[in-house]
Amino acid sequence: MGGMEGFGPVPVDDDVTFHEPWERQAQGLAIPVQVAARSNLDAFRHAIERVPPAQYLEGYFHRWARAFETVLVEGGVLAAGELDERLTGQTPSTAPARTTKAVPGGSGAKRPGDTPARFEVGDQVRTTAARTSGHTRLPGYARDRAGVVAAVSGTWVLPDTNAHGEGEQPTWLYSVRFPARELWGSGAGEADVVYLDCFETYLEPVT
Amino acid sequence: MTTTEPFAPEIRLEAIESLLLEKGLLDLDRVEQRLEMITTELGPMNGARAVARAWVDPDYRSRLLEDGTAAVRELGIDGPQVEMLVVVENTPEVHNVVVCTLCSCYPWAVLGLPPAWYKSPEYRARVVREPRAVLADFGTEVAPDVEVRVWDSSAEVRYLVLPERPAGTGSRSESELAALVNRDSMIGVRRAGQVDD
Amino acid sequence: MTDLPVEGPAAPPRVNGEVVFEAPWQRRAFGIAVDLCEQGAYEWRSFQQALIGRVAEAERGDHPFDYWQCWLNALGDVVEQTGLVALDELDQRSVSLAARPAGHDHEHGHPHR
Repeated sequence: MGGMEGFGPVPVDDDVTFHEPWERQAQGLAIPVQVAARSNLDAFRHAIERVPPAQYLEGYFHRWARAFETVLVEGGVLAAGELDERLTGQTPSTAPARTTKAVPGGSGAKRPGDTPARFEVGDQVRTTAARTSGHTRLPGYARDRAGVVAAVSGTWVLPDTNAHGEGEQPTWLYSVRFPARELWGSGAGEADVVYLDCFETYLEPVT
Repeated sequence: MTTTEPFAPEIRLEAIESLLLEKGLLDLDRVEQRLEMITTELGPMNGARAVARAWVDPDYRSRLLEDGTAAVRELGIDGPQVEMLVVVENTPEVHNVVVCTLCSCYPWAVLGLPPAWYKSPEYRARVVREPRAVLADFGTEVAPDVEVRVWDSSAEVRYLVLPERPAGTGSRSESELAALVNRDSMIGVRRAGQVDD
Repeated sequence: MTDLPVEGPAAPPRVNGEVVFEAPWQRRAFGIAVDLCEQGAYEWRSFQQALIGRVAEAERGDHPFDYWQCWLNALGDVVEQTGLVALDELDQRSVSLAARPAGHDHEHGHPHR
């Protein structure tokens, strides 16, 4: 690579070692892959050097992934092309296995939940009055208001915790119906209603 | 993180783009391809097909209201932002309108990208509080005894309004009916097109 | 904006007769946000959360609301949060780009669309 022209400036300020979790995994696989292929470090380095130029530019850990494949194929652990076949587009340097119509967000936000729903359709509920400094999907206008559960909408990643690295915590989601006058006072339309999607953690039962 | 914006947006965007390119994290051809798909293949004609089908086929209408995601997939409609699609029906007793007060959530797969007014603070603040006044701004009158339901897309559920079928359209074909279903009628701020004859 | 061409390759994308993007940077900001998500850099709800924050911030401020500026700010937020780009790196690059003389010839090596 030394002396080749046509490259942009070295991103010297980029001192994050791993950009994505799979890169950390790639680092961890280096030794096991070599052992599996009865290879060694030099052969691995050589495999990296033999990565085709177009793929070489994909980035440091992308090169490692390509080299792994080379080592495994040459060591007889994988058949040529077998990795591509298995991964079907999930190799690190190509798009993940999604069609062009994929949901931005990959697997999406719906998750299997392991707790029963606390509320059911028809239950009277009250939204929390607590103001949180973190992220929440409960709009200010709907804080500390009484409504009725209109639908139970499955379990989903809870944005409040997920935003702060506290995990996905699949949480039941409810469509809650609020009379407009409950939200805005007597000046609001008598026949007006607001339906808001509320996570279970935003709700308390009304006794 | 600063809250002031010392750089023009073109500069800031170019800075992000150039850095991502240098790090090998961006493929402009791929980005362009996706943009083309989103701006040409996705659009309200998708939702209109589902609405027209529901108007002519009562069983489809039931399925659409029961499970919007599955029902639109029957028509080959799938894509971004409709992981869970709920279709809400306008009737003589109920008029529905959709908003995202927190940002701009919108069912891209069935309606394409949202218009600027949908994302505006004015719409987002007012429709949830005074929906009839906002509907009037769009030229849509709703009788006082009709219940107006505002659906705030605060989580991942996306909403599509099934507008009422216009009077006098009994002889129309499904594709002619689809042409009457404008985007605004599926957000709920207008009714589906009236027929001239 | 009434001086944009209506048809042809230079015409901005329209949905139902309305312009979705008023300037190329908006379209690129949208495209990059979607693309990075689909490449697995972040979940869409993370971008949404950033957007919600930026929208709320904009509405508290006294500048006219600019949706696509909020979107761009949110994009900056997520690329920084996920470690793709560091904030000072972004600022430094912005400074160098802004220091180009007016009417520069786009020599920075990639096409604008």
